[in-house]
Amino acid sequence: MKRGYFYLFGFLLLMGFDTLSQISFKYAGDHALPVEASMAWLMRVFGHPWVYGAVIGYVGAFFTYMSLLKTAPIGPAFAASHLEVVSVMLLSIWLFDEQLTVARTLGAVLIIGGIVCLGLAESHEHEAEDGADASSPAAG
Amino acid sequence: MTPLATALWLLNLVLDTGGQLAFKAAASDPHAGDGLARWRHMLARPWLIIGVACYVLEFPVWIAFLSQGPLTRGVLLGSIDMVVIMLAGRWLFKEKLTRLRVIGILLVTVGVAVVGAAG
Repeated sequence: MKRGYFYLFGFLLLMGFDTLSQISFKYAGDHALPVEASMAWLMRVFGHPWVYGAVIGYVGAFFTYMSLLKTAPIGPAFAASHLEVVSVMLLSIWLFDEQLTVARTLGAVLIIGGIVCLGLAESHEHEAEDGADASSPAAG
Repeated sequence: MTPLATALWLLNLVLDTGGQLAFKAAASDPHAGDGLARWRHMLARPWLIIGVACYVLEFPVWIAFLSQGPLTRGVLLGSIDMVVIMLAGRWLFKEKLTRLRVIGILLVTVGVAVVGAAG
């Protein structure tokens, strides 16, 4: 049970950091418009505090993910590391007045379904590998 | 999507895939050894540097891409990276495509297509 809380907290923290990154990217990019392949555009991006929110999100997500992977199975970890699409979608309605259109909702459901399948596929594969290792201890 | 947004989306896809594959090539080199020697071995070869370079370039490209439309759409369209990386892993590193993985890849691809087609 204790481990369950650890994972729940860890995955929520990971989702939080990933969400912070994406929202920061959006604010930084919107602030620096129009997009140009120029030093001026880069200066506008990196002169804005939000871009550092993205850096904090990246670093935080990296260390959270690495801590989780010490004990968490790779399948659920992989899936959870991509589920920020849900939180980003919900927050975008509030922060950026974006609309949850039918196409986006349907697309999100399909993508999340796909991520869950990929996560399950990873779990199965690693179980199979662990099984193979256990049955042939001399191989390592 | 505008031509600029499409170009940025494709560029991000190339850089993300290139970065992941380069990191995989750097990390899975069987001659790399262990510990500090492993890092020395990796730093003396181009893969790690290529991977870092791809990621450094990807950072502003992704920011530019997200500024070209709604964040929801951008993040959903970005999911295609997973698919391309997995297919490239199959091609270059002979990774297995199990049935569940194929289903996952198809679902993500169709989802991205639905979001993209709606504009």
